[in-house]
Amino acid sequence: MTTADYVDAGEAIDQGTLSGKHGTAPPVVAGVTYERILDARSEPQNWLTYYGAYNGQRFSPLDQINTENVKRIGPAWVFQAGTSGMIAGASTYAFEAAPIVVDGVMFVSGWDGWVWALDARTGNEIWRYKHAVPFDVSLCCGNVNRGVAVAQGKVFLVTGNAHLLALDAQTGKRVWDKTYGDVRAGESGTVAPLIIKNMVIVGSSGGEFGVRGHLDAFNLESGEHLWRCYMVPKPGEPGSDTWPADGQAWARGGANCWLTGTFDAETNLLYVGTGNPAPDFDGDVRPGDNLFTDSIVAVDVDQGQIRWHYQCTPHDVWDYDSIAECILFESGGRKLLGHFDKNGYFFVLDRTDGSLVQITPFVDRITWGAITRDGQVTAKVYPDKEGEPVHFYPGPAGAKEWTHAAYSPKTELFYVPVQDVGATATRRRREFKESIPYWGAGVNVDLEDMTGSVSAFDASGEEKWRWRAELPMCASVLATGGDLVFAGEPSGEFNALDARTGEHLWKFQCGSGHHSSPTTYSVDGRQYIAVPVGWGGWAEGFLPGMLGAGHGSALIVFALPES
Amino acid sequence: MTSTAQERSALLSKLGLDAQNKGPLGHVLGTGNIGQAVEKGDGRMEATVRINPDELVWDPQILVLPHGGDLELTLINDDQNTHCALLPSNGDRKFIWLVNHSRGRALLNLDGPGYYWYSSPTGNDEGRGLTGAIVVLGDVPPEARLDRPDQPRP
Repeated sequence: MTTADYVDAGEAIDQGTLSGKHGTAPPVVAGVTYERILDARSEPQNWLTYYGAYNGQRFSPLDQINTENVKRIGPAWVFQAGTSGMIAGASTYAFEAAPIVVDGVMFVSGWDGWVWALDARTGNEIWRYKHAVPFDVSLCCGNVNRGVAVAQGKVFLVTGNAHLLALDAQTGKRVWDKTYGDVRAGESGTVAPLIIKNMVIVGSSGGEFGVRGHLDAFNLESGEHLWRCYMVPKPGEPGSDTWPADGQAWARGGANCWLTGTFDAETNLLYVGTGNPAPDFDGDVRPGDNLFTDSIVAVDVDQGQIRWHYQCTPHDVWDYDSIAECILFESGGRKLLGHFDKNGYFFVLDRTDGSLVQITPFVDRITWGAITRDGQVTAKVYPDKEGEPVHFYPGPAGAKEWTHAAYSPKTELFYVPVQDVGATATRRRREFKESIPYWGAGVNVDLEDMTGSVSAFDASGEEKWRWRAELPMCASVLATGGDLVFAGEPSGEFNALDARTGEHLWKFQCGSGHHSSPTTYSVDGRQYIAVPVGWGGWAEGFLPGMLGAGHGSALIVFALPES
Repeated sequence: MTSTAQERSALLSKLGLDAQNKGPLGHVLGTGNIGQAVEKGDGRMEATVRINPDELVWDPQILVLPHGGDLELTLINDDQNTHCALLPSNGDRKFIWLVNHSRGRALLNLDGPGYYWYSSPTGNDEGRGLTGAIVVLGDVPPEARLDRPDQPRP
């Protein structure tokens, strides 16, 4: 038989063309500029940037849905991402994103390189983009992505293999593609990019693999690399005296910026939290404070240089990344910053210079050590003896994981999702090898005796109310002008609480656990609450008792009845 | 008991892991052939994978590319049943039907380094053996690497 005998099967086509749902989005992103993002809360119908605004408050002034009528909201539409074929990290994917909305069009990332543009009123898919992510990328905590950024006609996202992509916001086609991390070194990308001025700013993941964490800025039009800021100093650089003078501990030191920062245009500083040092639990190989790990770092956004830092857990041996959001707010005429750290303490700093204003514990059980009101840190329990199990609270996922707190300027309260769960770590020293997990311990997170809450604090650290949950709270909360706080549970319930009292007002069982960042927007005068639902990620770290729960892959959007 | 590398092929055959309905029901993942793409003068790469009669396995089952970039892939179905292919590519996955005794093409763009799986997502072709891998060799661009001394690798 000859080649000519073959039936011509033609050329392979994009799988998305077989979805029955494809098209072109209206040019709503073309007009999204830095100035609009600076003033994002003046257009409450939109959610223009990861936290809703540069201040990281995760607050929307929308108030159509309020404490009186929230019990009447229900699903307006559901987007089911689903899956087909082979995907990387099929056992660990989670739907972690914060949906972005611009004038009726939603842009949301999934796992494994997916991005969708959806009609924000109907949920109809407009276009999709799928990046091919290698199956063998080093991923400590699941095949996840926390969202996209939009500006000047483009959608920006990072991929699991540490590429930064710019897509055409109307078509989903790739405009440029830059590699900003080394997958052979164990680096990856999970962060939602942040647009500042003419830049798109991203951080690297990979702190469990002994990399050297960094922030990178690219020109958002051309993709030109503008600066890189390492979060572990080289020998001789400021902070290098907090690492061993001999050896290469600094080169494997971690401090990854795997969550989106916040920004104050007046100080011109980007506030970013840094991750754990590596190895996570074996501190003897890296004596010293290990700057700038576990720190709140203020970076001059034009220069890409660190202006000040505040280290929340010096010489961390519990995996207490300080990657959590830095919420910008004003109080008593001061420009402040609020930060709920994995180590269980709520820090308030002066964001002009990093000076400490107050520290308060926000979880009941803290046994790893103690921090005094003036910031003195004393370690008490840690895995310092080879092969000897040590139990401590909070576990390595922290009293709050990466999922975000919110702040309402109406109530002047912070709302924090709390995880009260411990863990046992047994130190096991190992040699460093590039791309191999570098923990320095075996870790079991507790399967029993755990709890959670949404807790409300004022800026002085006084707890005003607490809504107790059966399980640790592992999803971001959302505060609205309707005096509501929305919070999802690992068991699938999506709840609305009274922002002033904590009274439980409404819930809906979404069919899968929550591990994402809900957002809110409006189209044609109707307010919507959007929550990605898809349990997964590093569940063995923050809630192993729910490792057997189904993953889910739905985006559920709620609204009041139209009539 | 484990096998040495030299014994692997004979043991796979003896246990029936490398054929349909011999040991298990299907052809076990990773027991097929290995092939390499050829680099063309314009920097693109080209390769052919085929489905041999009654084997329900991609041949080669592991296709190796020397670096990331564009791959012109020819797919040939010599089997007497219909299959398909869902292949990794930046932008969207590529899909093609492969009816009995057909020949098609796919243009794939892949980053690498790393490996990707692909399959024939119809019936249970994936379970029976029509799951393959594309391996991309090489390194990330120099500007993306960490500023640190060379580190030990496994």
